Amino acid sequence: MRLTVAMASVLLACSGAISDGVGAQQASAPPDISGFWELRYNSRHVTPASVKPEVAAQIKQEQAEARKSVLGAIGYDSIWCLKKEYPFFMGSSPPIDIVQTPEAVVVMSEGSNKRHFYMDGRGHPDPALLQRTTTGHAIGRWEGDTLVVDTVGLRGGENVNGGGRTTETTHLVERFRLLANGEQLQVTFTWDDPAVFLKPHTYDFVYYRDPPGTYAFEGSCDASDPANRQSTVEPKQAGNKK
Amino acid sequence: MKGRAIAFASLVLAAAGVQAQQPPAVPNFTGFWELRFDSKSVPVPTLTREAAASSTEIRRHDANAIRWCHMVGLPAIMDNWGPIDIVQNRAEVAIITDLIPSVARHIYFNQPHPDMNIFDPTPNGHSIGRWEGDTLVVDTIGFSDRGIISIPGGGRRTPKSHLTERFRLLQGGNRLSVVSTWEDATTFGKPHTYEFIYVRAPKGTELREAYCPTDDEERAKFLLAPWHR
Repeated sequence: MRLTVAMASVLLACSGAISDGVGAQQASAPPDISGFWELRYNSRHVTPASVKPEVAAQIKQEQAEARKSVLGAIGYDSIWCLKKEYPFFMGSSPPIDIVQTPEAVVVMSEGSNKRHFYMDGRGHPDPALLQRTTTGHAIGRWEGDTLVVDTVGLRGGENVNGGGRTTETTHLVERFRLLANGEQLQVTFTWDDPAVFLKPHTYDFVYYRDPPGTYAFEGSCDASDPANRQSTVEPKQAGNKK
Repeated sequence: MKGRAIAFASLVLAAAGVQAQQPPAVPNFTGFWELRFDSKSVPVPTLTREAAASSTEIRRHDANAIRWCHMVGLPAIMDNWGPIDIVQNRAEVAIITDLIPSVARHIYFNQPHPDMNIFDPTPNGHSIGRWEGDTLVVDTIGFSDRGIISIPGGGRRTPKSHLTERFRLLQGGNRLSVVSTWEDATTFGKPHTYEFIYVRAPKGTELREAYCPTDDEERAKFLLAPWHR
């Protein structure tokens, strides 16, 4: 009997030694959100944002002014191939690629956008030393099965889905969570910025996992190509002859 | 009693067998890596006559690519003045830089190169990796002739280029050696091999961002100075 107990103890210890390497990690390991993910027609669940009236009026006026110009509302950035800032690429049609490790998670678009979530417990830099970037400074942590990413330090000026725009005081919290047995990835965005929103603005996108063997294309934009300038000009419309 | 002891030993051995079946650990390159002033060992390549005669054309091409913020591609993305950020999991190794005009580099473990008849050539090309012991061997084809095309030592990347890189950790993981070998009969008389040794950046290193304003006229004048013409 005692031998049986001893055997069981040794076996448990032995399996523990294995588990230390693999099994125990599996028990406590967070979900793996690595892979290629893309949006579908039913992916965007966006509610209207409560935008401060003066900001909404300013955006409306700027959009009206832009429409009057030859370039149109989005033409300038497109013609000059200027990088669109966050969150633009999370809502665009090409897939995003996520690589997850214990130390870091990176999210890459097929263009020049790439985000690095620091997972080592660091905080955001001192605001006085923070270099503002097109994707901001993002720190991540796991809350159960959810990756929570806190972002500050955006340059500002990009449209937010549902209304409003980013500014230097924007604070974004994203919650990444696998659904449908790992075949879908829900990202819930909560934008908070007293300069823009009357209350935090929350919506979610659901991405679908791409099949194995998917590889990234590379986006390209050449501002020196005359054809690129034509791409933002509305073609002449043929008359509707009846 | 004896039978139970044998059964016990069998179970322990079986458990150990399970452990032995675990895939061997591979080096982990994840981290930020920097080039230093003494990081590069680059010999002079044996260039074809045509390639040797095209140095001015290459310089002009690259100056234009920088001026217009074209995606830089290989090998420039590995020759970055800022840290390169490597993130590795079982499916791929991703390499990103702080350069705005750069697309993330992907080195895939579990897939072959796609059919090059349907692959759109790119400045980074298509990279696949495999392990040879402690060395990650990366094979890249599918290059375009866009972006920064100059190769350390001399010569240029072309759609016919074939790059093999060997990534290996040194000095207890504090150094990363990348030995690059370019093969391209239109450019090199024989394969051109050089080595960069990256230093692991200190903890707390962060990815910054080098913005690229194509619409800045002063920048354009500076970059397209007469000596590029």
